[in-house]
Amino acid sequence: MENTLELRRITKRYDKFVAVDDLSLTIEKGSVFGLLGPNGAGKTSTIRMMMGITMPDSGEVIVFGEPYKRAHLDRIGYLPEERGLYKKMKLVEQLSFLAELKGVPNGEATRRARHWCERLELSAWTEKKVEELSKGMQQKVQFIAAILHDPEFLILDEPFSGLDPANADVLKDVLLEQKKAGKTILFSTHRMDQVEQLCQSICLINEGQAVLHGDLRSIKAKYGRNHVQMEYEGDGDFLQQSKGLQWFKNYGSYVEMELAPGADTRELLQLAASRVKLSRFQVMEPPLEQIFKDTVKKQNGNSVREQNA
Amino acid sequence: MRNTWLIIRREYLERVRTRAFIISTILLPAFMFGVTILPSMLANRKNKQERHIVVAASNQSVADAVSQQLGSKDNQGTYLPETRVVSDSSKQELNNAVTAGTIDGYLWVTDDAITSGKVTFTASNTSLFESGELQAIVNNGVRRARLRSRGMLPADADEILKAVKIDSVRLEGGEQKSAGGLGQFFAAFGLTFMLYMMLVMYGMATMRSVLEEKTSRVMEVMLSSVTSKELMAGKVLGVGGVGLTQIAVWVIFIVAIGGSTAISSPELREALNMPFSQLVFLPIFFVLGYMLYSSLYAALGAMVNSEQEAQQFQWFVTIPLIIPIATMMGVMSQPDSAFATWMSMVPFFSPILMYVRMVSHTPPPWQIGLSIGLLVATTYLVVLLCSRIYRVGILMYGKRPTLPEIVKWVKYA
Repeated sequence: MENTLELRRITKRYDKFVAVDDLSLTIEKGSVFGLLGPNGAGKTSTIRMMMGITMPDSGEVIVFGEPYKRAHLDRIGYLPEERGLYKKMKLVEQLSFLAELKGVPNGEATRRARHWCERLELSAWTEKKVEELSKGMQQKVQFIAAILHDPEFLILDEPFSGLDPANADVLKDVLLEQKKAGKTILFSTHRMDQVEQLCQSICLINEGQAVLHGDLRSIKAKYGRNHVQMEYEGDGDFLQQSKGLQWFKNYGSYVEMELAPGADTRELLQLAASRVKLSRFQVMEPPLEQIFKDTVKKQNGNSVREQNA
Repeated sequence: MRNTWLIIRREYLERVRTRAFIISTILLPAFMFGVTILPSMLANRKNKQERHIVVAASNQSVADAVSQQLGSKDNQGTYLPETRVVSDSSKQELNNAVTAGTIDGYLWVTDDAITSGKVTFTASNTSLFESGELQAIVNNGVRRARLRSRGMLPADADEILKAVKIDSVRLEGGEQKSAGGLGQFFAAFGLTFMLYMMLVMYGMATMRSVLEEKTSRVMEVMLSSVTSKELMAGKVLGVGGVGLTQIAVWVIFIVAIGGSTAISSPELREALNMPFSQLVFLPIFFVLGYMLYSSLYAALGAMVNSEQEAQQFQWFVTIPLIIPIATMMGVMSQPDSAFATWMSMVPFFSPILMYVRMVSHTPPPWQIGLSIGLLVATTYLVVLLCSRIYRVGILMYGKRPTLPEIVKWVKYA
C-alpha cells in the first residue's frame, strides 16, 4: 500500500539541543496514526518538519510518495496544538481566507465555510468575530479550518482538548467519516484512551527518538496478557504480601497490577476472592497508557516498580 | 504570488474597514493644521481691540510723528494714541494711570530716552509680537520727526520713509513660482511632520500585526500554508497600502479645495495651494521610507514576545526616525548647506530630509537621484536581513533573543 508520509532518519537540532534525533516512521495511506510522546519529546518539531515549517538538518521527508515540496501543503490539513486564529476577523471570512490560502477558489471557500459551520452547530456565529466565541467554539472553528480544503492528509495535534463530551463526539464522527472516505489522519495526543479507540498504528517518541513504532495490536500483543484490573469491596491490604506481582497501584476500590513473569492468575484470583468481595477481575493486555509510561520510564532510566498510591 | 496577494488583501481590508482608519484619516491632518497653519493664522490676525496708548515725548513733533504711525491702519494692533509732552517726573504719574487702568499703556520716547537707547513701552500686558511692531512704529515716527526738524516737507519725509515690500520668488525647473509665504512654510513643515507620523504609525502597525500573529499563535496555522517570506511581504505591503490610501485621500482633498476661492483666509489658501512636487513626492517618500522602516519593525515584532518587550526595543528603530525630525528645522532654513546635503543622503534619514529639501527648494537632480538610489539599495539589504530574522523569530517563543543569537538567525541558510 502507498504511504502517505515517510520520515527517513530526520534530525533537527536547535543549537546544541537535539529536538528530533534520527527519527524514521511511516504512515500508511488511509490509516489513523497516533504520534505519542511525553511533553518535549519532539512531537511538534516532527510535525513542523512534515509541514515544511522548518526543515530537517538531515534526513528526508517523503509526502504522497515524493520528496517534500510546498505544493503538497494544499493537500494537507493541520490543526496545531497551540490554537490560533485572527481574533478580529469574522468567522466566515476567516475560514474562507484560510481555505483560499490552500487553493480553494473564493466563492467555493465561503460556501464550504458556511456548510461546515452549520454541520458543527456554529451557524448562529458566522458573522461574529472570533474573539466573541467561547473557547470550545474557537476549537471547532480551528478544526473546520483544518479540513475545509478537503485534504487527503490530516494532521491533528490534540484535537479534542477543551471540548465537552458532546462536541468531542461530533468531531469524532467527522473524523470517522473522513477515514471512511480514505483520508489519512495523524493524531498527536496524550490521551491514550482516544488513541486506542481510533488509531491502527502508533509511533511513540521520547527524547527525539522513536521508541515504539508499528501496528497498535501487535505492539500490545508483544506485552502479553499480564495486566490485571480488579474492582472490589473490603480491605485490599493483602496485596502487599502477595508474591506474584511486579507492581500494583491501589485506588481504594480499584486496583491495577502487573503479574510477575510466570505468575499464576488463578492463584491471585483465589487469594483475592478469599479476602475481599470482588465485582470485577479482568486479565488483559496492558492499556496503552501503561505501555507508554513504562517505555518512557525505562528509557529515562527510572525504576518501573511502584507502590501503594 | 497568490498567497502574498491573499495576505495583502486581508491586511488591507481588515484595516481600512476599521473606525481607527477613518478617524486617523481625519484627525491627523486636523492635528497638523492645529500645530502649524492655525498658529500662523492666529499670529497674522488683526487685533481688533482698541488700546489707549499715551505717547510721552519731550516735544510735540516727536509725539505727533509717533502717534501718527501708531494710528495707521496698516498695523496689526488697533491703537488709540494720545500725545503728551512730559518731563522726567511724569513717569510715575503715567505708571499710576496704567495701574489704575485709565490708559492701556504708554510709550516713553523722550529725547533723553532716544539718545540713551532707553525707549520703553509700559503696559498692563505686552506681547512679543507687539513689541516687534512697536519697534518699527517708533523708529519710523522718530525718523520722521528728525527729518521734519531738519526742515523737510511732510510729503517728502513720507516719500523717503515709504516701506519697500519684498516678494520671494523661487525657481522650480526654470519656472517662476511666487511662493515662500508663512502659510506655505508651515504647510511644508506640516507635510513633513505628517510623513514622519505616517512612517512611525504604519511601521508600528506592522510590528503589532506580527506580534499579534505571534501571540495569538495563528502564525503556526499560516505557516502551514505560506512561507515566511510571503507572510512578511503580504503584511508589509498590505499595511503600506492602507497608508497610501490615506495619503491618496489627503492629496485628492488638497487638490480639490486647494485652488478654491471659497477659503477666506489667505494663509490657509496659500498653505493648501501646494506645488505639485510636494504632493507627488509625499507618497513616493512614504513608500521608500515605509519599506525600510516597516521591515525593521516587522523583524522587531518577530523578535519579541509581548508588547512590553517590544516597547523596550523600539528606540532601536525609532531613533533613526527622530534624528531627521530633530534636524529638520536646520535643513529647512538652509536646504543648500553641506550639512543638509549630506544628511539627506543618509538612507535612514533621507525619506524625511530629502523631502524637506525638496519642499523648501529644489536640490539638483543628481542629489535626488543619489539619495533615492542609496535608499533603495539600503532598503533591499535591510529587507533581506529582516526577512531572515523574521523567519526564525516568528517560531521562537519564550526567551528574548540576545544579539549573538540574532546574528546567528541571520546566518541560517
